[in-house]
Amino acid sequence: MALYRRHKDAVYRFALLYCGSAAGASDVTQDTFMHFITRPEQFDATRGRIGAWLCGVARMIARKQLGEREQPTDPALLADDTAPLPGQVDHESPLDHVLRTEAAEQVRREVARLAPHYRDVLILCELSGLSYAEAAQVCGIDIGTVRSRLSRARSALAQRLARYHGVAKEAV
Amino acid sequence: MNSPAPDAFLDSRLAAVRAELDAVRAPAQLEGALAAHFRRSQNRPPRLWWMPPLALAATLAIVSWMIRTPLPPMPQAAQVAALAGGNPSQDPGPFLALKPLERIALEPSTTVVETEFPRALLAEWGLPVAPDRAGEPVRAEMLYSPDGEALAVRLIH
Repeated sequence: MALYRRHKDAVYRFALLYCGSAAGASDVTQDTFMHFITRPEQFDATRGRIGAWLCGVARMIARKQLGEREQPTDPALLADDTAPLPGQVDHESPLDHVLRTEAAEQVRREVARLAPHYRDVLILCELSGLSYAEAAQVCGIDIGTVRSRLSRARSALAQRLARYHGVAKEAV
Repeated sequence: MNSPAPDAFLDSRLAAVRAELDAVRAPAQLEGALAAHFRRSQNRPPRLWWMPPLALAATLAIVSWMIRTPLPPMPQAAQVAALAGGNPSQDPGPFLALKPLERIALEPSTTVVETEFPRALLAEWGLPVAPDRAGEPVRAEMLYSPDGEALAVRLIH
């Protein structure tokens, strides 16, 4: 329980970004810790922090819950833009509102609309505080790929946010 | 007013999300739910709980069947007994052939001799002998050929 209390908020926040709903995040958090309780031998302390490992488990569970297919790893497929593939689109309702301020909520929504392979690294590195190496371990890719995906994810997110920002300015 | 540089703009937005997230806490009831879930999973019988009882029942059934089913008479022993001229109905036990049956059958006559020999001799015929009783004598009936060759043996208890 000490371990749960130390890491529950970080795992819950991570799950919240993935699921886009408090109920989904609660389920993922609970399943993540149940996974750890029932299979503690899967965590190898010599390979990284438990916080990062728990994020990896939460990601796997969230992806399973969302019914999301494994993202392509072929560089040719990833050379495309950051638009998600059909079936990978976030189906959250516009009424779902998990962050308090509109600006933060808008960013979260736009992150959720990124293609999964870009969304993964953005959530892990920019919003969950994992290092590139930890994100690489969680996603099963090398650090160079993490860097390139993060760069493209940031670029795509910036474009989307700038579009909204421009629309807002015009409205004013 | 100029729009901020893309990187700075994005960083400021991401920083806003991080600041909001820092205030987010896992629901308090989650800990209770996790503990209850864990207790339920501990009390739940394992997925293959029916395997050990099934294996035990199957073993008992096989052993029971083996005990109840009489063993078929040893044809070799019966043939040796017949060759030795004994009456099967009064036969105290089977003869154990020490030579091939065809070889015994070719003998013009045989002789059954009651004898006593060291138990260790049984080991030479491939029979099990407890080492601590190897020196004890054993009573047996030997089936001999006219040449005095031991053809079969029957232990007398």
